[in-house]
Amino acid sequence: MTTESATFRTNLKPVWCAGCGDFGLLAALTRRALPNLGIPNYKTLIVSGIGCSSRIPAYVDTYGFNSIHGRAVPIAQGAKLAKPELTVIAIGGDGDFFSIGVGHLPHAVRRNLDITCIMVNNFVYGLTKGQDSPTTLRPELGEKQFVSPEFYTPINPILNMTTYGISTRASFIAQGIATDVPHLGWLIEEGIRHKGFSFINVLTPCVTYNPPELFNTIKEKASYLKDGELVELPASSMEKPWPHDPSNISLALKLAQSPVLGKPHLGIFFQGK
Amino acid sequence: MRRSLTIGVAGAGGDGVVVLGTLLQQLAASQGYFSQMPKFYGAQIRGGGSAVKLSLDAEGSSLPKDSLDILICFDWGKYLEFQKELPLRSDTLVLYENIPPREIDLPEKSFKIDFSGISQEATGAARSKNIVALGLLDRILALSEDRVKAAIDKNKELKLLKKTLPALEAGGHLLTELSFSELKLSPVHAALPKVIIDGNSAIAKAAIRAGSRAFFGYPITPASEIMDAMQEELSHGRGAFLQAEDEIASASLAIGASLTGAKSFTSTSGPGFALMTESMVLASSSEIPLVIVDVQRCGPSTGIPSKSEQSDLNHAIYGGHGDAPRVVMAPYDVEGCYRLLIESVNIAQYFQALVIFLSDQWLGQTPVATNDDFLKKDYSIKELKRPAGTDLEDYRRYRLTDDSISPMAVVGDPGLVYQTTGLSHNEKGRPAFDFETNQRMHEKRWQKLVPLCQRDDLVKVFGEEESSRGIITWGSSAQVVLDTINELGLEDKVKVCVPELICPLPERVERFIRATKKLLVIEMNYSGQLYHYLRSQIDLPRKTKTYNRAGGRPFSRKELTEPIMEIVR
Repeated sequence: MTTESATFRTNLKPVWCAGCGDFGLLAALTRRALPNLGIPNYKTLIVSGIGCSSRIPAYVDTYGFNSIHGRAVPIAQGAKLAKPELTVIAIGGDGDFFSIGVGHLPHAVRRNLDITCIMVNNFVYGLTKGQDSPTTLRPELGEKQFVSPEFYTPINPILNMTTYGISTRASFIAQGIATDVPHLGWLIEEGIRHKGFSFINVLTPCVTYNPPELFNTIKEKASYLKDGELVELPASSMEKPWPHDPSNISLALKLAQSPVLGKPHLGIFFQGK
Repeated sequence: MRRSLTIGVAGAGGDGVVVLGTLLQQLAASQGYFSQMPKFYGAQIRGGGSAVKLSLDAEGSSLPKDSLDILICFDWGKYLEFQKELPLRSDTLVLYENIPPREIDLPEKSFKIDFSGISQEATGAARSKNIVALGLLDRILALSEDRVKAAIDKNKELKLLKKTLPALEAGGHLLTELSFSELKLSPVHAALPKVIIDGNSAIAKAAIRAGSRAFFGYPITPASEIMDAMQEELSHGRGAFLQAEDEIASASLAIGASLTGAKSFTSTSGPGFALMTESMVLASSSEIPLVIVDVQRCGPSTGIPSKSEQSDLNHAIYGGHGDAPRVVMAPYDVEGCYRLLIESVNIAQYFQALVIFLSDQWLGQTPVATNDDFLKKDYSIKELKRPAGTDLEDYRRYRLTDDSISPMAVVGDPGLVYQTTGLSHNEKGRPAFDFETNQRMHEKRWQKLVPLCQRDDLVKVFGEEESSRGIITWGSSAQVVLDTINELGLEDKVKVCVPELICPLPERVERFIRATKKLLVIEMNYSGQLYHYLRSQIDLPRKTKTYNRAGGRPFSRKELTEPIMEIVR
């Protein structure tokens, strides 16, 4: 019996649809981040909630707990508090982290325990077959607004996870894309290395319940952040581009506010001390 | 001379009612007197009424009697809020500060005393009026003056009295023209100082004793004191402590800590207990040790936060979706709070089980002065069954074993990495959705708890076990049931069964019931939750009666007399 896993993959076959973005996350974790970090598999715990992406612990050869909907973050914190030498990763979807479990997030942020939260944001409830999630992007797709106009017009019914993370001053905030495994693997590595609470939003395609143009647009418009280089802004922006500085939280907020279908930024938005 | 006395104190916030009761309890305890001091308070944060009912006893920690021997009243308006808990008799000694309203019928021995004025005179401030009253009580009860002084010097809880000694002395010089010889406490047999402890602090102490170094909670009446004590115990790196954002989180945090091998627990009361439901069944299904302490208060919903009830039994036994086996424990006194919490941690660890520990507001918040032997006793401490031998080669987290307990690796153990889930899973902990695995794993989880049914020691039986008249009661209600039987002199006529382990139901309870022709079930909830549970498990005698009602006021001996007499007849 080895104590370190060469591949970090169990022999289980994922339940995901062919082409699911979750495969990208699985590869980023097991082929990049975990092997690169060199932490023994027995010192690592992955806790997930419920959803497509939350099935991931069964596929990763570390300690794992596919728990219940919304509670990955508190369970992960409990483990970290009780055994601080562990590397603890919480994984969940947009429904998991930002709907049912959203109440736990600001508290995890303010405690700043050294855990890494990976939110697999595919803008939809996939496991339950296509219902709206808090990040579902219908108005931006030009469809009819789903709230009856005689009530009120929603200004922006989408919850933006990344601005939320920044406004609560999470100490590490990054955004990756499931289709770029090396980059996502690097972000996860950096998130785990960061001493404190790390939040990584992973833009993820759902090939079954989202129209293909949604993720195609995201991929096409995505722009990588590089320290010191000018950031790209959406065509509609009146601002002057600025050199990317991940130590500046106000600039991070601007990056996060950039519409995901306008100019989704990929990289480390903010890293505090 | 009296073996025991029941003293009530009532007043408004700021009158120092609880302080007076506490100091008197401590002074008496330092001289070896047993006592219990239930507290009554309203929903106000500050400035509401409060009352205590202190029973001092030279022989054992008996409950306060129904009515008072002595009442100290600082505020009649507030007294009226608690009149039903603090009833007067014609021979009650009443010492009061203000003229009573018309509806108060003062007993013969009533004295108006200007406690505030005397305090002002003695100390320059009126606020030591409670200390003046304490001085007077010390004299009436004939607590040894020398020993009171010695205790004040020695005992840090009494240091307040050092500063207010003039008030204490002034109180001692009041009403000297009267002799209160009939209210003197008889001397204690062995003047061993008593320890003062309530259920909530006993639970925290026991958790530490059992080896728990991880606690997660959320403030809630009447359980917060457990969290406060655990914070104190576990701060400065002595363990994992977190005040969570809600009870969903506190139970989830405890599960996370438990996965790493920490003996973790959480405490709450009804509304928080409800929020923990999903964690309960997660712990049960993935066999992660978890202890939840529920200090019950009146429900449903917000109910009466500050008053006792025994109405969470159904939720403890049946709460949650799916078939999720669990252990339900219920202490009936402060010693039980300590002993059974250790037992609960042991059971949670040994059986990798969910244990629900049902205390209640009465147990939790009533300071009891008693002998400290139960704190000093040896208790066996159980640990998780860890993988060994062949497990180390081919580790299966949920391996089917003879006793259905699978050795548990904890996160951080080299070479034993596994993944677990709340999904139906196989021996390896991997998701498995076939009927056969589902059935087998259910069987395993239920079977492993069956040996607990043999735990005779977790059922207390008083009186002749083979007698045909029996009472079953549980939790803090048991104390008043036993007291009432003693007072009525019925110890030989009726036996009493108090299950401390309620689920799974010990066989001893079954034997008790089988030998009973006339059975009475007494509990403090509207619907008779224990009665219905027993009925679901055992054929009860045809002549089974129940006495149960909602909480909000402690059971009195008077109200229990008739139902008890009825089954003895």
